[in-house]
Amino acid sequence: MDLFRLADADAVLPRVKAGDPAAQEALYRAFEAPVYNLARRICRTTEDAEDVLQETFLEVFRSIGRYRGDGSLWGWVRTIASSKALMRLRRNKYRDTDELQDDITPLRREDTALRMDLETALERLSETSRAVVWLHDVEGYTHEEIAGMMEKTVSFSKSQLARAHTRLRRWLGEEVPA
Amino acid sequence: MTHLTMEQLLAVREPGLEPGVAGWRNHASACDLCRAELERLDQRVARLRALPALQPSRNRFAEVRAGARAGRRRRQWMVFSAGGIAVAASLALAVVLTRGPGESADGTAQQMAEQQELDSIIASSRSLEGTIQAYNPDQRVTDGRTASVAASLEDRLARVDDQLQLVDMMDQSMRKDAALRLWRERVGLLNALVDVRATRARAVGF
Repeated sequence: MDLFRLADADAVLPRVKAGDPAAQEALYRAFEAPVYNLARRICRTTEDAEDVLQETFLEVFRSIGRYRGDGSLWGWVRTIASSKALMRLRRNKYRDTDELQDDITPLRREDTALRMDLETALERLSETSRAVVWLHDVEGYTHEEIAGMMEKTVSFSKSQLARAHTRLRRWLGEEVPA
Repeated sequence: MTHLTMEQLLAVREPGLEPGVAGWRNHASACDLCRAELERLDQRVARLRALPALQPSRNRFAEVRAGARAGRRRRQWMVFSAGGIAVAASLALAVVLTRGPGESADGTAQQMAEQQELDSIIASSRSLEGTIQAYNPDQRVTDGRTASVAASLEDRLARVDDQLQLVDMMDQSMRKDAALRLWRERVGLLNALVDVRATRARAVGF
């Protein structure tokens, strides 16, 4: 994350709250890349991720008056972005393709030639599993926070994470014979 | 020997001490296989965190700015619309108060008809605002062209609203005609805005 830009974002906050367009643009530039990255890691398509980016900033500018500064600005923006991305997942109801393919053609241990790179393996996870992996392992949300955002239980979040890592381990060829 | 499941390995990495986790931690420190599995898990998470940041292919700030401005305008209408009923009521009162003892029944009937028309236009305006709200434009993304057309209509609406605010200061004889003209214009603009929003909503399959 670009720390210089983040410092800029905090500095322009009072002007953003006053509705200054130049300050809004500075805030947008500061958080555009991390918001898009989070959205793209959770959503299936670039179009959805770009829509989440736009929705996030519309919400940020609408609600900025309610931001009291009790947490970091990025933390506040990131929570909005995560919620928007998860809402889009729920709305689109993507099919969980990895589970279907696994059931039909399970990868065999000797299929090392099919070993994927991490990007491909992550992309292959179901939307829900990928969202949990990203929010927990990369963004650092707790299972309680993820459960709240997904409107699911804590056990759901934990089991999705375990399932995702089991799959990633297999697809990345990291399984060790017992 | 039973090794740790993925769920148990992940629990071991969590801060805090849930029931059973101490035992799993002890096992992981004593079992080469589980310790290696835990290390691989740590490495996988580190690699996930090190993935390159993905960048948007195009700049969406113009749409965001247009959307934010439209949202602000819309919230202003809501406040204004509530005031619209008060305007109608004050004009109705004016009709009653300005009715002199020698005024003809025809003149009064005409005033009442105009008042009814104004009431009806204000009701249409509120209904159209409800339709726009139902599309929930604050929560929707728009392409640049739609955002620009909507922003232009919303700017014109804001100008009409500004003029409507001045109607109360006008001379009694001019007030009703001005109010009727401005509310009609407002309804026309709202109708156009509904078309823009509805067309966009249909295009993206809502």
